[in-house]
Amino acid sequence: MTKHRILIIDDDASITRGVRRNLVATGAYEVRQENHALVAVQSAREFMPDLILLDVMMPEMDGGAVAARLREDPLLKDIPIIFLTAIVSNEETHGSEAYIGDEEYLAKPVDLNILIRVIEGHLEG
Amino acid sequence: MVLVVAVSDYLTGIEISVTLLYLVPICWCAWFAGRGVGVFIATVSAGAWLGAEWLERWSTIQPWVVFWNTLMMGGIFVVVATLLATLKATQANLEATVARRTTKLVAEVTVRRRTEGKLRLANTELQRTQMQLIEAAKMEAVGRMAAGVAHEVKNPLMTLGMGVDYFLQRPISDADDASLLHDMKHAVLRGTKIINLMLDFSKPRPLQPSPEDLNAIVENALGLVRHQLLKHRIEVVRQLQAGLPMLSLDHTHMEHVLVNLFTNAVHAMSDGGTLTVRSSLQAATDTSIVLEPHVILVVEDTGPGIPQEQLPNIFEPFHTTKPPGQGTGLGLAIVHRIIQIHGGSVTLGNRPEGGARATLTFNLQPKPHP
Repeated sequence: MTKHRILIIDDDASITRGVRRNLVATGAYEVRQENHALVAVQSAREFMPDLILLDVMMPEMDGGAVAARLREDPLLKDIPIIFLTAIVSNEETHGSEAYIGDEEYLAKPVDLNILIRVIEGHLEG
Repeated sequence: MVLVVAVSDYLTGIEISVTLLYLVPICWCAWFAGRGVGVFIATVSAGAWLGAEWLERWSTIQPWVVFWNTLMMGGIFVVVATLLATLKATQANLEATVARRTTKLVAEVTVRRRTEGKLRLANTELQRTQMQLIEAAKMEAVGRMAAGVAHEVKNPLMTLGMGVDYFLQRPISDADDASLLHDMKHAVLRGTKIINLMLDFSKPRPLQPSPEDLNAIVENALGLVRHQLLKHRIEVVRQLQAGLPMLSLDHTHMEHVLVNLFTNAVHAMSDGGTLTVRSSLQAATDTSIVLEPHVILVVEDTGPGIPQEQLPNIFEPFHTTKPPGQGTGLGLAIVHRIIQIHGGSVTLGNRPEGGARATLTFNLQPKPHP
């Protein structure tokens, strides 16, 4: 069974570690974590993920700018991105409003079951 | 001396009565007719009367007596009539002056009252604007703080949540360990809920108003807390006025407000009680601040009420009347905020007979709030 490749980009290593641990534990994903926004594009090029989990507020470069660079890259432009953000309430991520541009976003802290459901929704779609 | 003799000689016996008989109507004429005309009437009347007297008495009385009599009576009439006419004119002048000044005074008082009314309204409006500015500045600060706090708290919560989720996926042989993990998960959820409420309070979802039937929203909200009401044996009394005008409301926001108020009522009546919900259309009145027709919604409970000392700060964020750990202190602040952005107002107090009362006021033409 081919594992889906997930790249998680967040400046908080404890979050990327936690997400990676949980996703890997399902047996369905191969996960790479990246804690530096400035090298996120490079990391994505190397890993070529099926989906990217991207934090919005990062000190080196915010998630929106990282997403813009990913979209400019011909190799990466079609990879679905799910934003993770702490500055919205979880209720706001229900329904049709939970998009930044064309990208879906989830409010931190993300429930593992919801995270897996959203990831699968993108990968199957 | 001659004058005294003449008068005493003339005004004797029945003559006095006759004289008075003539004098009174003449004086009345003078009084009512005014000074100039009065003197003329008095003089002519006295002259005519005394002329007749003179002619009648000429043959029997000494001519000088008649002359003096005539002169005296004429003089008396003229003096009395002049005095009376002068008095009347003076009175008329006084009355006219008083009337003029009264009219002026009434006009001044009317203008002053009108000006005072306008000043009061302007002052109320100014206070409202000041409060809104203060509120807006406060909200901006709270918004900044909320975003900062959310970022700093929700990231660690996510780390904790992911850790707990990871271990919850593993087989756990010890029931105590499982219980501990569930407690941790619950703590993460509770912390998340508080931060989410704070974010909602500082940055409520933009209003999506549409014409809404307030009574229908009340029914929906009651339906959402139905289970709690049944569980705590709370009777619901509906006094909803039929045919209320449609109000421009955000259905979701208003449902949130009412669920919050009903839930507070349930918490206040955990051993049972009565929840009364009353809606009505109030006509415009000049005795209240609300000068336009408005819809009132009252939510009352029969709980212990709100401690008097807590009422002034009841809508302040993080102020709670509930025991530590049981309330976020944001529920009523959010209620207040939502009603404000609807251009309405909300007050909370105690009923004289016991229990709390929330009164929501909605203008038919809401004024937007910043």
